[in-house]
Amino acid sequence: MKALLRCLVMMLVFQTGMAQEVDDGDMLLNRPAERNYDIIIESGYLKVGVYQNFPPYSYLVNSEPQGIDVELGKRIAAAMGVEFRVHWIVPDENLGDDLRNNVWKGHYLAKRRLADVMMRVPYDKQYAYMQDSTGEYMNEQVVLFGPYQQETWQIAYNPQKMDSVETIAMFQYHPIGVEIDTLPAFYLTSGLNGRLRDQVRHYTNVHEAFNAMLNGDVSAVMGMRAEIDHELSKAENSGFRQAGNAFPGIGKQVWDVGMAIKSTHRQLGYALEEIVGNIVKSGGLEGLFADANLRYSVPQYYRAFLSEEAIAQAEGKP
Amino acid sequence: MRSNRFGIRIAVSALALAVSCGAQAVTDEDILNDANTPEDIVSYGMGTQGQRFSTIEDLTTENIRYLQPAWAFSFGSEKMRGQESQPMIKDGVMYVTASYSRVYAIDARTGEEIWQYDARLPDGIMPCCDVVNRGVALYGDKVYFGTLDAKLVALNKDTGKPVWIKKVADYQAGYAITAAPLVVKGKLITGVSGGEFGIVGKVEAYDPETGDLVWTRPTVEGHMGYVYKDGKAIENGISGGEAGKTWPGDMWKNGGAATWLGGTYDPDTDSLFFGTGNPAPWNSHLRPGDNLFSASRLAIDPDDGSIKWHFQTTPHDGWDYDGVNELISFNYEENGKTVMAAATADRNGFFYVLNRENGDFIRGFPFVDKITWATGLDPKTGRPIFAEGGRPGDPSSAEGMKGEIVLAQPSFLGGKNWMPMAFSQDTGLFYVPSNEWSMDIWNEPVSYKRGGAYLGAGFTIKPTNDDYIGVLRAMDPKTGEEVWRYENPAPLWGGVMATAGNLVFTGTPEGFLKAFDAKTGEELYKFNTGSGVVGTPVTWTMDGEQFVSVASGWGGAVPLWGGEVAKVIKDFNQGGMVWTFKLPKDRVASK
Repeated sequence: MKALLRCLVMMLVFQTGMAQEVDDGDMLLNRPAERNYDIIIESGYLKVGVYQNFPPYSYLVNSEPQGIDVELGKRIAAAMGVEFRVHWIVPDENLGDDLRNNVWKGHYLAKRRLADVMMRVPYDKQYAYMQDSTGEYMNEQVVLFGPYQQETWQIAYNPQKMDSVETIAMFQYHPIGVEIDTLPAFYLTSGLNGRLRDQVRHYTNVHEAFNAMLNGDVSAVMGMRAEIDHELSKAENSGFRQAGNAFPGIGKQVWDVGMAIKSTHRQLGYALEEIVGNIVKSGGLEGLFADANLRYSVPQYYRAFLSEEAIAQAEGKP
Repeated sequence: MRSNRFGIRIAVSALALAVSCGAQAVTDEDILNDANTPEDIVSYGMGTQGQRFSTIEDLTTENIRYLQPAWAFSFGSEKMRGQESQPMIKDGVMYVTASYSRVYAIDARTGEEIWQYDARLPDGIMPCCDVVNRGVALYGDKVYFGTLDAKLVALNKDTGKPVWIKKVADYQAGYAITAAPLVVKGKLITGVSGGEFGIVGKVEAYDPETGDLVWTRPTVEGHMGYVYKDGKAIENGISGGEAGKTWPGDMWKNGGAATWLGGTYDPDTDSLFFGTGNPAPWNSHLRPGDNLFSASRLAIDPDDGSIKWHFQTTPHDGWDYDGVNELISFNYEENGKTVMAAATADRNGFFYVLNRENGDFIRGFPFVDKITWATGLDPKTGRPIFAEGGRPGDPSSAEGMKGEIVLAQPSFLGGKNWMPMAFSQDTGLFYVPSNEWSMDIWNEPVSYKRGGAYLGAGFTIKPTNDDYIGVLRAMDPKTGEEVWRYENPAPLWGGVMATAGNLVFTGTPEGFLKAFDAKTGEELYKFNTGSGVVGTPVTWTMDGEQFVSVASGWGGAVPLWGGEVAKVIKDFNQGGMVWTFKLPKDRVASK
């Protein structure tokens, strides 16, 4: 009865402000709420941390949060029987900063603001157990878990400017757009002893780089595969193609992407892990990607213990 | 909770009115004469040249022990971060800023608040290096300051109510303002702070009355400067002539070189002197070339923003040695001639003496005990002679392994950071707040950014000595000789002031305001303000007595970076106060 009443109150309160974030921190002590599994269930909502303005993963369409990570967050919340609440993340200089600002400590300008779970966190044992110069584990405040996608690099090109992308050496002669301060930017400006450097054009995001390709300023764009696929799915970019080239010496060719929670909230982690695992294995995630015209790869994590048939099912292959 | 929409509070409006009666508007002459008018402080730097030298002689090495607290004022709220402000004084009112873009007007006699203004900061701002503010500018009947969301705000000096608010740059693109603006020839002039990527530094002049943009000067080669007339932008020349001379590809478009520490003004040569930050991206192997005008000092024409000359302290920077540190104009005699010089103590560990008429290098020398990244300076040009193996490695060649560790000294926090030094016209010495520390830099074996694989560098800052990091040094600009030094356990992070009473003042993170004999370095006075002092002291006279003020409140960049320095500073408590001291009349020696 009490729960029902709360539910009704919640509906009244949140009906109008779906995209609004909750401020549930302690006003007096100016610190975030300590939201473990039981408290989340009792509160009736789950705050899902996603990056701001980051299509196709998480972005606003008509003032509503959308994208792969948002949809997955909604499915997780539904499986837990709670409401989905968005927690927007402004990316800082690196993942460690984002985890500190949004998962375990809070940013010093917004100390009451934490996500219950953060999406799009690379799942990498080497990263998770990294030690600093004094031997301390740098990420011991968080648990990285629940990989749901494998990400990789991709180039799209304009076939009217170049026949195909055989190797990246072609970008000694063709201008290529990248997002500033990303691995593609570093890779192309330093690769082949800097011989591509003068052809690299920097943009604030992949979308801007595609605009430049439409204007003829660049002949190709490099980014994360889902970002590239998302742009290629738009009507105005229908003249552009996926390239099939390799990225020799790029360091990380593929990586798994999962979630992060505060290390003291493991019970929540176990629950989320099971929910997401089921969505991945049932092919639900592949469906999300397919609906958005994106290619999907099952994380390496699952390949260690799932059968070939099970992998095929997860990747939506009959 | 502030209930007012603009977050203003007028505490004692009757008092505000009382104070404003008889108060004079601040004029260009007041600002140009600031160094010679002991009863007020109307410029950042206690004079536009930034010497931070007071001609007041009441307080001396003999009577400093009688300096006593007059009042203390709390900035209030839980927003206790680094207090790096320099107070201003005009007609018995102190104007001081605090962390989180707050401004206060305080009765300088009693310490009572007249008004407070809290800038309403948007969600999601990401200032890189603490939420500090370094002070206001005064002009006419207004008080000006810059905010963490990169706006200039003009307040009525009597009420604290905003007259205009102008966006200087987009905080969402990574810009902020933390430095005090300055007023020169009727123009309000500011630089910008910026994160590591995507930004381009600039210096801009605004109309103090209306907030209209007058001119803008980008500090990276290839960008067009503009002068604005009747709302129209008129091209005023590309910085550096054209793009691509000292940058590869299109990297000049996002070259960095933030002007985050503001500038000084020299009326003798009619030049603004602004320093610029490091170039972007951080990895120097991606951007061969000098990368102008990063890590440089620029002389700028205050009328239209043209660059008169530049001097680059760290060409092709690979260590994050920002070139923002203040350039202080001073004259000295040599062979019977007066040399029009200017000096700066750079992050990179070298002290530079330049000809301020044309930017020519006169001499340079290390002001820290050890420099590893360069073996010296070219005696003709002042260009550093890079040390073999001193540059951090190329991350693209590391590939999945922890790259080779390179030790660099000074650390990226610099032989000297933002905290202003002082020049004594009596001793002819510069008093430099410096730090002895190095850094290990390596390429991270694994690193991610916004969901994607990335190439990052790791670093850790290490104290050079067991028992001290901070060193206050008296440096002779003519010889490079260190005349005296005071060693401090924690890194020094506060500004310095010299006085005609043969005194040098500075604060320490341990909480002390300290005074030293300007000739010998003997410590003569200390008072614990309750939290670390990272502000800049000032002194003035009021009702025939000499006053000294300093902001107290530990913070700034040091506690954010940690490393092995954290061991020294971890027990320092935060705060947010301004302390004011005075020398009672009867303690002044008869003249």
